[in-house]
This record gives sequence, structure tokens and C-alpha cells, in this order.
Amino acid sequence: MATLKLTNVKKIYDNNVVAVHNFNLDIKDKEFIVFVGPSGCGKSTTLRMIAGLEEISEGTIEIDDEIVNDLQPKDRDIAMVFQNYALYPHLTVYENMAFPLRLKKNPKVSEDEIFNRVINAADILGITDYLMRKPKNLSGGQRQRVSIGRAMVRDSKVFLMDEPLSNLDAKLRNQMRAEIIELRHKIDSTFIYVTHDQTEAMTLGDRIVIMKDGYIQQVDTPQNVFDKPNNLFVAGFIGSPQMNFFDAKLSKEGEDYYVEVGEVKLLIDDKKRDILKEKDINEKDIILGIRPDHLKVSFEDNENTIKGKIIVNEMMGSEMHLHINVNNKQDIIVIVPTISLTKSQKEALQAGKEIDLEFDSKLIHLFDSETEENIIYKKEC
Amino acid sequence: MSMNNNEKRHMKQSTKNRISNTVIYIILILMSIIWLIPFVSIVLQSFRIESTLQVGYVIPKQWGLDNYIKLFKETSFPIWYLNTLFIALIVALVQTLVVLSMSYTLSRLRFKGRKFLMNFMLVLGLFPGFLTMIVLYTVLKDLNMIMANAVPGLILVYVASSGMGYYISKGFFDTIPRSLDEAARIDGATRFQVFYQIIMPLSKPIVIYTILTAFLGPWGDFIFARYISNYNSSGMNVAVGLWSWLQKDTIAQKYTLFCAGGVIVAIPVTILFMCLQKYYVEGVTGGAVKG
Repeated sequence: MATLKLTNVKKIYDNNVVAVHNFNLDIKDKEFIVFVGPSGCGKSTTLRMIAGLEEISEGTIEIDDEIVNDLQPKDRDIAMVFQNYALYPHLTVYENMAFPLRLKKNPKVSEDEIFNRVINAADILGITDYLMRKPKNLSGGQRQRVSIGRAMVRDSKVFLMDEPLSNLDAKLRNQMRAEIIELRHKIDSTFIYVTHDQTEAMTLGDRIVIMKDGYIQQVDTPQNVFDKPNNLFVAGFIGSPQMNFFDAKLSKEGEDYYVEVGEVKLLIDDKKRDILKEKDINEKDIILGIRPDHLKVSFEDNENTIKGKIIVNEMMGSEMHLHINVNNKQDIIVIVPTISLTKSQKEALQAGKEIDLEFDSKLIHLFDSETEENIIYKKEC
Repeated sequence: MSMNNNEKRHMKQSTKNRISNTVIYIILILMSIIWLIPFVSIVLQSFRIESTLQVGYVIPKQWGLDNYIKLFKETSFPIWYLNTLFIALIVALVQTLVVLSMSYTLSRLRFKGRKFLMNFMLVLGLFPGFLTMIVLYTVLKDLNMIMANAVPGLILVYVASSGMGYYISKGFFDTIPRSLDEAARIDGATRFQVFYQIIMPLSKPIVIYTILTAFLGPWGDFIFARYISNYNSSGMNVAVGLWSWLQKDTIAQKYTLFCAGGVIVAIPVTILFMCLQKYYVEGVTGGAVKG
């Protein structure tokens, strides 16, 4: 139950490596924020600065309008879940969860109160049966539940999670992800969740903070991040399989804009046209991005298509993932839903076959080939 | 046919194994006999009552506890023994506290000069301690902590250098994941609470190892104790005291007493080791213990 405000937060390590550059973010009360990015992008460092485990080199962090830069972790009223669970090996599950409560002073938490809170949390997490066990006798999923439980019992203002699901196997990860979504509604707290997994980011976050090399790339809702990526990096990072990119050229003929990709000449739709006009952009080298499921395989003779050769056809059941080599230089991925395909169409989509691909200009993304930024939608952050 | 060959080869192999095992055991047994002779001989001599002289045989002709009784009734041995025990216990306590907090600090905190300090102490530790003897004697003399007052002086000497023995326990603490410290600090613990509520319970082997080594140092020390007490009976420890009986003019009357004293000195250490050897071994092989 707290707001967080990070203003120009910067982290410079002793060897002068800058891990986080001018990080600005306002987090609303009870919001679920996800920091996502490849390893080394500064997401964990930022989280650890919020927790008080890393010193803040520059800037301020406020929790509920109080600057916490110089507060010890224990005085910040935060709870944290670690990637490796960080359970105390010599204590039982019950004592692990009771530990933060036992340390509380003024007012001291009574034994009854501790019991009630631990049992309540254990109940929500379904670990009541293991309360008397030591952590080493638990499975990975159970350990992570205990670790979440230990954070839960404290009723703290902010709930931090540092890649909590990374050590679990794929099936358990999906299950725990769903449980965290459920849990989130049971705990009235502000969440900050760090992950390198874009699926976790998309499914969990109210807003996603995408980071790279210590810089924020974009802060927005999952849908907006997916639909209107700020730049090439975000476009490639969010969405799986990742977006396909083509070198292309933007041109203007009269009132209309066109994109040329190889032999294809594509008329830009009205919405994008108006924005381009407003920004007074004429001709430009661009990178065209299109998601694998937005490219269409053309089975009829069609002029305006690019040609490619299928290298691999991955049959996923409800869809096919086609790995296609375009013009002998570039590999792209196209997702084709199988439900509407005829038998002969399926045969035409086997490895080694040549196919034609169509673009829908409403579904394409345009990036400046120099700055790699989205030409149409670019939100400052 | 091939079965036969296989069997033969198998037989050959097992005979080979048996022979090499036998040889190894014979060597080991011989070594342990050689190694045990002095100990067995001292134990046996301590029960010899027909004479107090050094003699050419090992098994006593007349057995009895006379030497032990005399040791406690007629000599200063009890004083020396209590001196040694007192010194060793205090040193074990203080040194353990110093070593463990030092190691934990070096393992967890990052501060300017940390690397330098560690290397400096490592290099310093390579010099034999008794090089400092003359200086220490002068200092202790000024503090009036020599001769009859050697006990507090010795405690000071043993404890003062204890921070340098941080290496093994630091290695152990390094294997305990830092995220445990961080989790505890977020849970509301101070650095000190993290140390004694989380790290200490996980470090039993290294704590016991540290206590044992800290106890053993002063328990068997001769050089410093000899020098600082300078044969003043009320300041001596057992090693110096027993040694004083082996001089030319005393050895004839005190040799069997010396043996009895040696046995009494060995008893507590032996018991300690028998109880704690499991931890001791774990402590020495510290890195292998999972956090």
C-alpha cells in the first residue's frame, strides 16, 4: 500500500561502470510493475536499490513521499522474494515465515499474532502441511512458496520479486505465474517484479518497464508495449517468436505514402499516413517490422508479395511456425494457423517449398533505420 | 572358453587387489606402531613406581598411582594446570569471537583497503610468531605482566594476533549465499542479528574448529610461556613446568612425574577431539559444506 517515485536514479559501480542511467518512474499505489530486459540491463540493480541492498549513486527513491536513500533495508518496510529463495536452512518453514515478525519491535508482535499470520499465509499458499519441515526437504516450488509466504506475513508497503520463477522448471513456472496473479489480488500491496522473461512480464504487469544497458526503453501497459513498441529493441524483445524486420524505403507520392520492401510496394494506411504527414516526413530509409502472425501466406498468384523458401516447418498443432529464407539473405518466421488450411495448402508449406508472403499495411511497424526508433508511435520516457 | 578367460582375468585382478591392500595395511600398521611408541611408553612410565629414574625398559615392574598422587599433592603442577586451563579457555573464547567477526566482516563487507588488509595479514602470518618475542617481552615488562604475572600477559599475547587467523573461516562464510544475509536484512535484522541468528547457526563446524584451534594454541605453547614466565612457578603453564623437571639436576627424581603430568595434559584435549572431530574435519574442509 504505497506509492514509489524514482527520480534520476543512477548506479555507478566502483570500477566506474554505470549500471543504471537516469531512471525515472512513478509507481502508483497497488500497481504491479515489471522490470524486464536481457541480463545486465540494470533491472536487478534497480530493484536492489529500492530494497536498500545497493547504494544509490545519484537521484532519489521515495516510498510514500519519503526519501529512503539513506534508510537501512529493515527500515524501508519492504518485502522481497529472491531467485534462489534465500530460506534460512536451519529453521523450519514455520520459523522461516515467523522470522521477520519476531524481529519486529514497537510494537512487538505477540506469539498468537505470529501464529495467526503464518497460518493464514500458509493457507493461501497451500503449504500448511510442510510447516514443520526444513527447507532442504521441500521441492523448488514449495520453497518458492515459503519464500513468498515469508514476504507476505509482513504486510509491507512494497513487495519486491527478483526473478522468483527462474529456478523452476517450465511447467511449475506456468503454474506459479498463475498463482502470483491470483495472489496479487489477495495481497493489497505495490508489486515490483524483475524478470528476463517477456511472457512473465506481459502476463503479470499492469505496466512493463523495458530496460537495456541501464536505460529505460519504454514504460507502458503490456498491450501498448506490444502494439506500439518505442523502438527496434522493444519490438524485438516483446513477443515470441520475435518480430521480423526488413530493410525498406519510405516514399511519398502525392498525398500517399508507400513502403518498398524488395519488390513489394505497400500503400500506407490512413492512420499512419496522417501521422507521417503531421510529422512532415518524406523519404526515408526505414526498417519495417511485422510480427510472425501478421504476415500472410499467399496461395493465389499475387503481384505484391515477397518470395521466400521454407527451411523448417515446426508443427505446433494449432499453428505452424515456418522458418523462411527471404532473398537468400534473411531468415524470418511466419506463424500460420492450421485450422483453415486445406490439405493441398498444407503440402505447399513443407520444408524446401517456395512461397509468397503478403503484408497488411495496418499491421506493420516503421522504425527509423538510423535511430532505430518508432517513426509513428514514440512515447517519451 | 571366453567365459573361462574372463574368470581368469577376474581372479587375477582380485588377487592383485588383495596383495596391494595387504601391503598397504602392513605399511600403515608399522607406521602407526612407530608413531604410538612414545605415547604408550609415557603412559606406561607414568604408572611405574619402583624408581623415578629414566630406565631402559618400557613395561613397569611395579604398578601404582603414586606418581599421580604426588603430582597433585607435592608439586606446583595444579597451579600450572589451572594457569594453562584458564589461559586456554579465555583465549578460546576471545579469539573465537575476534576471528569469526573478522572473517565475517572480510567476507561480507566491502571497504577501502580490504584486499590490502587481507594480503598484508597473510604475509605477516608467514613469519614465525616468536620473532616478536623480544619486543613483546619489553612491552609486557613495562606492563608488569611477566614472571609471576605471566598469565594475563600470555592471554594478551595469544589474543592480540588472533585476527590473522581469519582465512579458513572467511572461506567458509564465502560459501554461505549472500542472499541469506540480504533476506534477513530486509526481514528486519541488523547486521549483528544476521550474524548471530542466521550465519552462526549455519557455521557450527567452523565455530567448533575455531574454538578448538584457539584452545590448542595456548594449551601446548612452550616458547612464549617459557620466555614470559621465565621459570617463575606461579606464572608457568604445564609445558614450561613439565620441562623444568627435565633439567640435569631434576630429571632423576622427576622423570616419572613428568610422564604422569604429560598424561593429565593430554586427557582433556583427547576428549575434546573425540567428541568434536566430526566438526573439526568439516571445518578444515570448509569449502565443501553447502550453505
